[in-house]
This record gives sequence, C-alpha cells and structure tokens, in this order.
Amino acid sequence: MLPIDAAAHSSRWRRRHPVDKAVLGLGLTVLAISLPPWPGAVLVLVAALGVLLGPAGVSPRDLWQAYRVPLGFCVTGAVTLLVQVGGPGGIVTLADGGPVRAGELLLRTSAASLGVLLFAFTTPMSDLLPRLVKAGVPAPVVDVALVTYRMSFLLLDSVRRIREAQAARLGHTTRAAAWRSLAGLGSTAFVRAFDRAARLQSGLAGRGYDGTLRVLVPEARVSVRFVAVSVMLLTALTTLTLALERPLS
Amino acid sequence: MHIAEGFLPPAHAIAWGVASAPFVVHGVRSLTREVRENPESTLLLGASGAFTFVLSALKIPSVTGSCSHPTGTGLGAILFRPPIMAVLGTITLLFQALLLAHGGLTTLGANVFSLAVVGPWAGYAVYRLLRRYEVPLMVAVFSGAFVADLSTYCVTSVQLALAFPDPGSGFLGALGKFGSIFAVTQIPLAVSEGLLTVLVMRLLVQSSKGDLTRLGVFLADKRPGTRAETEAVAR
Repeated sequence: MLPIDAAAHSSRWRRRHPVDKAVLGLGLTVLAISLPPWPGAVLVLVAALGVLLGPAGVSPRDLWQAYRVPLGFCVTGAVTLLVQVGGPGGIVTLADGGPVRAGELLLRTSAASLGVLLFAFTTPMSDLLPRLVKAGVPAPVVDVALVTYRMSFLLLDSVRRIREAQAARLGHTTRAAAWRSLAGLGSTAFVRAFDRAARLQSGLAGRGYDGTLRVLVPEARVSVRFVAVSVMLLTALTTLTLALERPLS
Repeated sequence: MHIAEGFLPPAHAIAWGVASAPFVVHGVRSLTREVRENPESTLLLGASGAFTFVLSALKIPSVTGSCSHPTGTGLGAILFRPPIMAVLGTITLLFQALLLAHGGLTTLGANVFSLAVVGPWAGYAVYRLLRRYEVPLMVAVFSGAFVADLSTYCVTSVQLALAFPDPGSGFLGALGKFGSIFAVTQIPLAVSEGLLTVLVMRLLVQSSKGDLTRLGVFLADKRPGTRAETEAVAR
C-alpha cells in the first residue's frame, strides 16, 4: 500500500463521509488558487497545515514525506519565472518583478497542494471510488478504476520483488544489464497484470459475475455540522484575505 | 511531466478541463460500450490501468545520467488504443494526484490533455502511419513511443507558456524558455522511453502473443498456408 493511502486508512477522519472532507480540503485548494497569493495563499497554507497536524491528526513525518514531492515541482517551476528571454539586457536576463511572481506562484502551489493532501490523507481511495457513481460517473468506469486501484498494489509489490531478484542476480551492474532488467520488468508486469485479470475473471465467473463489482462501503453520513464549520472557515479565510489585502500590499 | 497542484490560474485550469472533456467522454463511451458487450473486459481494462500506473512508476536511466519516469502513453496507446487510454490515463492521473502527490486535481484537465489525449493520439497516429507503409513493427513502436513522449512535453510547454508569458517576449519567449528547459532532459528521455518500449514489446511478442492478438496489435490470420498470426494494425 502507498504511504498516503495507508495513512488515510488509519486516519481519525476515516469514518467521515468523503463529501465532508472534500468540502474542507478541496475548498482550501480552490481558495488557494482563487484568492490573491498575498495574503490569501499564506492564510490558506497556515489553516491547512493547522487542520492537517491538528484535528486530522496527520503525522508531521508522513506529511513532509508526501509534501516534499509537490514542493520540489513548485520550486523548480517558480525558478523559471525569475528570468526573461530577450530585451535590451541580453538573451536571458533577470525578469523585472520575477522574484515577486515566483514567490506568489510558490505560495499558491504550496497552499493548494496542502488542501489536496488534507483530502488524500483522510480519505482512502476505497471509500471514495464506489461513491463516484452517485456523483454521476458511469458505473463501468468506476468498476475499472476499482480494479485498477486494487491491482496496482499487487503489481507494485510484484515489481518490487522482481527488481530485488534482478539486483540479486547482478541485473543492475552495467548499463546494458540495467536496460535488459528494466525491459523484463515492464513486460513481466504486463504478463502478470493480464494473468491476474484472467484468474480473477475465472474466480468471479464461478460466483455468478454479471459485470458489476459489488463492494461493501463503510456506512457514513454527511455531517451538516462539519460541513457548516468548514464553510465558515473558508468564508473567514476569504473575508480576512480581502480585509488584509489592501493594508498589506 | 505533470503540472503541479495550483500551478495554473483558475481560468486556464478550467479551459484545459473543457478541452480534455470531449476526448474523455468519447473514451468513457467506448469503454462503457465495451464493458456492456463483454462484462469480463472490466477486469482486463482494470489490469491495463494498473499496468499503466505501474509503468509510470518505473525509473528509466536517462542519457543525461539521471533517472526519470516513462509516460507510458506510447505503449498504452499501441496496446489499448487512444480512446481507452484517455480514460485509463485520467484514472492513472487521478491516482497519481491523490496517492503520490504528483500532478493535482485543479491541473487534472491540463495533465489529461497532454498525457492522456495528445500523447496517445500523436504516438498512435505515427505508429499507424508507419505500419500502413509496412515499416518494421519495432521501428514503428519506437517512433510511436518517441513521438508520444515528446508531444506530451511540447503540449506541457505550451500550457505553461500560455499561463506564464515572458515579461519581455510574451508567449513565444516563454515557449522557448520552457521548451528549451524541457528539451535538455526530455529529448534524451523520449529516446530512452522509445528504446524501453521496443524492448518491452519484443519480450511481449515472445511471451504474450495471445494477449496482443486479443488487444488487436496482432491479427489472427486464418488463411491456410500462412503464419498463424500476422503483425497488423488491426483497428
């Protein structure tokens, strides 16, 4: 299981309805990209971090492990805004206002990422996917996504074991050997995926499979109180941003 | 390769979502029709999605000495065809956003457009074209994977340049800036992905002809006196 999904399965908010967490987490993300980065994204970032480490109970270590990935992309992307192409100074020069634009982008992306991480760290995919049918996603697509989700972990585990076996047979010692091992890994993943699908099909056919995958979804109700508090937080952040924007600019 | 969460302004994020929607809807219709006609294909398609997800998690050695991840769009398009890849790619990108923190939900539309629409269609078009002129299978596979990978990055450069035009030279300057940054890593990476796809396909031809025939990469040839299967672009 992947670390974010594993953390979601043992989250304090695991039993909450995904809609509750979507309103809060994805609401914070929408605010992060819609409000002025200064001070809006900063407020969203602080609020998201507070909720993640406070009520949601996400461990700081897990959060950092997951957060450093998008943070790396954000920093790399923001660096490109520091320079401009052409102009009197030369082919590539420092852009006027580049640091401000890069800083704003960095604030926006890092705040938006935390909002999505709040949702991801508290909502296991197995709780979310079956409920997408009610949101209007066609059932066959949800079924395919469910099989993809469950089979991905088995395949990732197989790939890890094959890689270890290849390493034990000195399969990564030279560049040519590494390429051969990688090709073997890719094709073995394909063969195993299709083999598992065929075996799963045989097993399900024996149980009267009619094309619909029925899975048990933990009972949960949308909490009006939780949603109301979330909306109040989002409204407060918006109001505070608009109030502070002029004095702080 | 993925545009990170919150990187695009809201108007751009919505616009790319709208641009991707017809391709994804078309893919969903194809997939739904396929599943209704053959219920067992749910499992096969799920396995294909898992394969695409795992393929994108493999690390390939880049010519520049670093490691990177293949997009898997070329191989996916050749094996499963672009409409199905639009759906499988969308599912994979959603999983990557929520399980790996790669990409994002607000940038899902933009990432779907580059990785699940343009990449597969461009790669598949080149593959089909070359196979029509009876170019050897592996040359067509390499070209398809190379073009799929490179076109993905070209579209990503355009998306970023539209969102962040250069203060001095506007869209074209920004396109040159993002394009040249990507070119340093992505042209070698596209070559690497092309080579990897050829190696994977060679092994699949040896070990999984039945599956490739079922997927339409090979056509079963029933004429007497000919090879049991002939390479063909089936659809």
